[in-house]
Amino acid sequence: MPMTTADTEPVLKVVDLSLSYLTRQGPLQAVQSVSFELGRGQSLGLVGESGCGKTSIANCLMRLLPDNGRLTSGQILLDGQDLVPLSEEEMRHFRWGQMAMVFQAAMNALDPVYRVGQQVVEAIEAHGVEVTTAGARERVARLFRMVGLDPQLMERYPHEFSGGMRQRAVIAMALACDPSVIIADEPTTALDVIVQDRLLRELKGVQRELSMSMIYISHDIGVVAEVTDRIGVMYAGRLVELGDTADVFGAPMHPYTAALMSSFPSISGEKHELETLPGEPPNLANPPAGCPFHPRCAYATEECREEFPAQVQRGSRWTACWHPLTDMAGVGQ
Amino acid sequence: MTSYLARRAGQMVLTLFLIVTLTFFLVQAQPGDYATFYSLNPDIPAEAREQIKASFGLDKPLWQQYLVHMKNTFTGNFGVSFGHYPRPVMEVLAERLPRTVVLFLSATAVSFYVGFFLGKAIAWRRGGVLEYAATISGATLFTAFTPAFALMMIWIFAFKLGWLPVGKFLDPLIWRGAEVSANHVFSYMLATAAVFIAFAFLTLLAARKLGRLGTGRMPFLVIAGGAAVIPIVWAFTGVGYLALDILRHMILPIATLTLISFAGTMLLTRNSMLETMREDYVMAARAKGLPEKVVRDRHAARNALLPVITSLVYSLIFAIDGSVIIEGVFSWPGTGMTLLEAVRSEDLPLVMGSMVFIGLFSLLAHVIVDVLYVYLDPRIRYQ
Repeated sequence: MPMTTADTEPVLKVVDLSLSYLTRQGPLQAVQSVSFELGRGQSLGLVGESGCGKTSIANCLMRLLPDNGRLTSGQILLDGQDLVPLSEEEMRHFRWGQMAMVFQAAMNALDPVYRVGQQVVEAIEAHGVEVTTAGARERVARLFRMVGLDPQLMERYPHEFSGGMRQRAVIAMALACDPSVIIADEPTTALDVIVQDRLLRELKGVQRELSMSMIYISHDIGVVAEVTDRIGVMYAGRLVELGDTADVFGAPMHPYTAALMSSFPSISGEKHELETLPGEPPNLANPPAGCPFHPRCAYATEECREEFPAQVQRGSRWTACWHPLTDMAGVGQ
Repeated sequence: MTSYLARRAGQMVLTLFLIVTLTFFLVQAQPGDYATFYSLNPDIPAEAREQIKASFGLDKPLWQQYLVHMKNTFTGNFGVSFGHYPRPVMEVLAERLPRTVVLFLSATAVSFYVGFFLGKAIAWRRGGVLEYAATISGATLFTAFTPAFALMMIWIFAFKLGWLPVGKFLDPLIWRGAEVSANHVFSYMLATAAVFIAFAFLTLLAARKLGRLGTGRMPFLVIAGGAAVIPIVWAFTGVGYLALDILRHMILPIATLTLISFAGTMLLTRNSMLETMREDYVMAARAKGLPEKVVRDRHAARNALLPVITSLVYSLIFAIDGSVIIEGVFSWPGTGMTLLEAVRSEDLPLVMGSMVFIGLFSLLAHVIVDVLYVYLDPRIRYQ
């Protein structure tokens, strides 16, 4: 259900974010000129193939880039405060306090040598959310109940948890300091479908209940469609389409979005042959000129090969394409 | 856990049996026996020779000697040393063993601490000056020829600078006229160290139980306070200057051992750290907004410690059998020296006695580390 965000200032605003990794083959442009806004209480999905820069954006928002990662341009405005120029120590207070993360590999996001509850308490104490240890523990017990875990499990170690329990614990940990933004990076990928589905509903429920804003990153567009209000489609480090989830799924504007959707099966939708997209994503150390999708695009023309397209705006959504599929009806054609 | 320890004890007895057997036959495999020293003397008549042999029991067939040894060893009778006749083996060892244990245990602790501290620092800040300095000097010292390096240390600090004694356990000039024996003072020093370690351990344990009240500098101030009391107490005993003399004799060997061996722990910690630093839970710890030091020490280094602890077993064994070379160069009267002398003179009871203790302690070191592992890594449980 799309929310109206026009009247309120977005909680998170990313402006012209570019990021590259220094590699032996030269700089690798992982994210290029990405801009988006996240409204208060809204959830935004980022989808795309592996290596398209989704996780890089997540890490970049938390300023947790690996040593060879370089932020080459852009602003990350959290409640109007730009996070990019902050020192490591200043940034420390924003991490978890304002913006928390549900990790891609929740299996390994818990330190094996400490009790699970203690690891959540640690975050609470680091940000002074609760003054006493008893208060912090009480808070963790509440969080555990909220994500469907028995508070007694606080005293257990991560290896005693099942995959689903660990993921719940990691979600509880993300909620520990009442952050205004939660970044969920493939939070359910490692789980089986049934647990995944239940967890998604709970995550969505918690997000609504606490009216938090969420960025949901996944390669699984089915999952993203279920939990997000808006969706951004990424290809080769660029955001190529952004709009309300229902609109984008109803009528994709970018050929890549259409291709991505037709390569996923749908239970509720009409039956169609799953299509595969020929070719591979481009090498980001040496991206093709113009639109990076042109080597795989059926509609590519001369201008696609020469220049990256400008945004084509339509209502609350836009796409960066020379030949947007505006008149196409239906999905996956 | 109890049944596990019981099973381990059973295994230890079996292993000890094998060690003793092997040692017995290895020593016997050397040409000659203890009596040879006497029997080669032409002034001793043939009957007296046979009598000496018989008095040591060396005239009996080998299998009989072996059985007698085994029975005595496992009933706690280590016999009388041939070389230190008529002192019992136990008495010789009771004097020598603590000296070696204290020297090498201190050196192990210092070098483990230095190695772990440097290892985690150079892994955390890679490519710094410290990394190059520590790696190059550490590797150089690690591969240095031990006797030459030990002699160089003596030459610099004892001979040229004159800061520390050249070697030995104590300075006879200082001890002249002292009313207590060195062993007496030394045993009191051991008791002091044991009490202090227990105190420090309990303080840290209490700090952990107290939760946030106990964090920060407080527990360390308490421990430092406890340490400050020690010299005051010793000053009142009147033998403090004697203890200080023994301490002064320990500095150079400990420093030498530390310099030679810290690189092992350091490089192991560094590699282990570089692995744990890539783990998701370290990134998660940083994402949680924990201070750098907490991320490094409580998450990265804490997990990196696990494989490093394994290497501690070997250093602990080193702490019991000592190093013949280090003890030799520093004239330190410990078990390393004793064992070497005993083997060379075929002092069978002393060799056997030393080996039983070395075997026992190395087996114990393994058990201690295995038990330590349970506390360090909650994933490990013994059935």
